[in-house]
Amino acid sequence: MPLCALGQALEHEVKAAYLFRFLSFVEWPQSTFLRPDSPIVIGVLGADDVLAELREIVPGRVVQGRPVAAVRLHEGASLAGVHVLFVGREAGAQLARLAPTRGVLVVSDSERGLDQGAVVNFVRAEGRVRFEVALDAAEQRELRISSRMLAVASSVRPGKL
Amino acid sequence: MRPLRWIGASVRRKTMAVVIATTVIALLVSAAAMLFYEVRTLRETHLAELRTQAEIIGRASGPALAFKDRKAAAQDLLMLRGRPDIELAALYALDGTLFASYARAGQSGIPPRAGAPGYRLEGDSVTLFHAVTDANEDLGTVFLRSSAGLRERMQDYVAILGSVLALSLAVAWLVSVWLQRAVTGPILNVAGAARQVFERRDFSVRAEKRTEDEIGMLADTLNRMLADLEREMTERREAEGAIRAADRRKDEFLATLAHELRNPLAPIRNALYIMQAARDNPAAVAEARAIIERQLAQMVRLVDDLLDVSRITTGKLNLRKEQVDARAVAQSAIEAVEPLARARGHALRVALPPTGVTLDADPTRLAQVFLNLLNNAIKFTDPGGRIDFEVEVAAGELVARVRDSGVGIAAEMREEIFEMFAQVDRSLERSTMGLGVGLSLARRLVELHGGTISVSSAGPGKGAEFVVRIPLAGERQPAARDDRAPFARASAARPHRILLADDNLDFASSFATLLRRMGNEVRVEHDGPAALAAAGEFRPEIAFLDIGLPKLNGFDLARRLRGLSATAGSKLVAVTGWGQPSDRQLASEAGFDDYMVKPVEIERIQAILRAA
Ligand SMILES: Nc1ncnc2c1ncn2[C@@H]1O[C@H](COP(=O)(O)OP(=O)(O)OP(=O)(O)O)[C@@H](O)[C@H]1O
Ligand SMILES: [Mg+2]
Repeated sequence: MPLCALGQALEHEVKAAYLFRFLSFVEWPQSTFLRPDSPIVIGVLGADDVLAELREIVPGRVVQGRPVAAVRLHEGASLAGVHVLFVGREAGAQLARLAPTRGVLVVSDSERGLDQGAVVNFVRAEGRVRFEVALDAAEQRELRISSRMLAVASSVRPGKL
Repeated sequence: MRPLRWIGASVRRKTMAVVIATTVIALLVSAAAMLFYEVRTLRETHLAELRTQAEIIGRASGPALAFKDRKAAAQDLLMLRGRPDIELAALYALDGTLFASYARAGQSGIPPRAGAPGYRLEGDSVTLFHAVTDANEDLGTVFLRSSAGLRERMQDYVAILGSVLALSLAVAWLVSVWLQRAVTGPILNVAGAARQVFERRDFSVRAEKRTEDEIGMLADTLNRMLADLEREMTERREAEGAIRAADRRKDEFLATLAHELRNPLAPIRNALYIMQAARDNPAAVAEARAIIERQLAQMVRLVDDLLDVSRITTGKLNLRKEQVDARAVAQSAIEAVEPLARARGHALRVALPPTGVTLDADPTRLAQVFLNLLNNAIKFTDPGGRIDFEVEVAAGELVARVRDSGVGIAAEMREEIFEMFAQVDRSLERSTMGLGVGLSLARRLVELHGGTISVSSAGPGKGAEFVVRIPLAGERQPAARDDRAPFARASAARPHRILLADDNLDFASSFATLLRRMGNEVRVEHDGPAALAAAGEFRPEIAFLDIGLPKLNGFDLARRLRGLSATAGSKLVAVTGWGQPSDRQLASEAGFDDYMVKPVEIERIQAILRAA
């Protein structure tokens, strides 16, 4: 089980696992799903190793009563039908260009990810992968993030509400 | 009860044991049940609590496990500080490796790897592995170890039980003391009374009735039994006393009897000696004969009285009632005592009713009553005394009073003297004669006549008065067959043919001589068949038959004579001796006209001859 071999586990494996875990703690606007059993779609931009890992994890898994799907996104692709957008380190430059889209949880992997509009951003602390959360960005995108997730976040940028 | 033998025989200890044993058993059983239930529910609630705790920790540290945040996980576990019963806690990652742990001070032993979900009881502690899931996702395992506190609880229970037991025993002891007072107290009280009765033979002891329950009933029953027993015992004692008194009187009577029977013998012997020695002195011989006659009369009277006594005791004293003239009966009694009264120098004053007052009575017996009273008055009055005999009719009764100025009777003796053989002066040296039967005979005879007899006396030395009351006959009939009365006027009798049957040769010959001197023709036989044979040819007008005849007894002989034409209408007179059957009833049934007891009186014979 690559997920659990913490320490020895490779960073992309950890991030993929985290991306999957986030699904449990986030509430999307109802309208972002076409049907009650429409899948939660994770779009990956510029991080093929994480995408590959996700594709290992998601088949057969059910979160919030929905299947989970992982797709590769290309630069400039439409974000319609995407619930989580992971912008890899290499695609970090794209982040600034993304318009804040309703119902899309943007996860970045760069030092200034939150400043550039991401809701969740991976950071490294004490040699381990952690994440920070920007509540204002989440509010902007009409997303609600469970306080339980916030409890383990390395830092939380407060929202306006 | 064998198992309770050690308790002994005391009801007190038994009730104590019962109360205490019941209390202890009830307490132990309820305590065991409570402990069992308590341990079970304790374990269950404890387990449920522990599961909840594990669930809470799992939920809280779900994100920490999910995002591998050991610090957050450790932080989450630290909230267990508020739960002192939880000794160890740990979180394990999905692969079973230890992720975070928590240990209360002084505790150790966190398993290095996660175990299978479930709980284990290890002595006083419970260990629990619980899966952590979030949104159906397995995230890891929680481990908790908690001291269930069973031991402390048990110790608490034992302490509580001990004090409850001690308290209950104290209460039970008090209850048994109370019970003793309320239950065994009355029982012991009854038992004590019963023992007292038995030990002291005192039937007047009574058990105190303290309660209205079964024990009260027991006390009542015991008391009733004791009352019955007491009454019976007193009755028995009284009866025994009466028997002893009667016995004593009989003994005294025997002594008196011997004395009385022997008394006349000396004068008779002297008289016989005089008659022999002074054969030529007619005055001396006449004097001697008079002595013998008097003494004999005295002895005859004694024996007659004895016969009457035996009749009384055997219930055979019967009356031959007829219409009698009260005056005549009284007169005959007076005539009999007059010589004696004169001899003692008494002034005898008599007041009688006129002739014509009749009553239904046995004239002989009624005269005997008056005779006895008059004799006593004469006897128990010093010479020169005064004796009143009054007979009158009052309120339909014949009232006869015999009053004297004699020795009188002490109050305590006034009832006693009517008892058989009772005499005030019992010394053999006393001047008066008698057996002590006169009054009891008199009373019996008066009672047979439906009357009463009573005595009054102003005390010793002040005289006495005896009063006889007899109801008068309802209808007055002219006295019939007056000539048969024993005290009928004497008149010359014409000569008769007389048959005399008696096996006593002396009696027969002397009686025959007497009858022949009276001018009668007499035939003597000494047994029954001979008398029967003689009767056929001799055709007697009168037959004197002994009852105790050999070969054919008097009763049977009389029956046969009545069957013979020669003697069918003859006058048959039964003659009985001492100790022979003396039933007038039997005699008259056998066909006898009259009845005589030996020794026969000359007046009686004359009366019979006159009547024939
Ligand atoms: N008139 C009386 N005055 C004083 N005492 C009397 C009188 N009559 C009877 N008693 C007393 O009562 C006793 C009983 O009298 P009761 O006639 O029964 O016997 P008794 O005269 O002694 O003997 P018995 O009559 O048999 O010859 C006498 O012994 C005497 O002590
Ligand atoms: Mg007398």
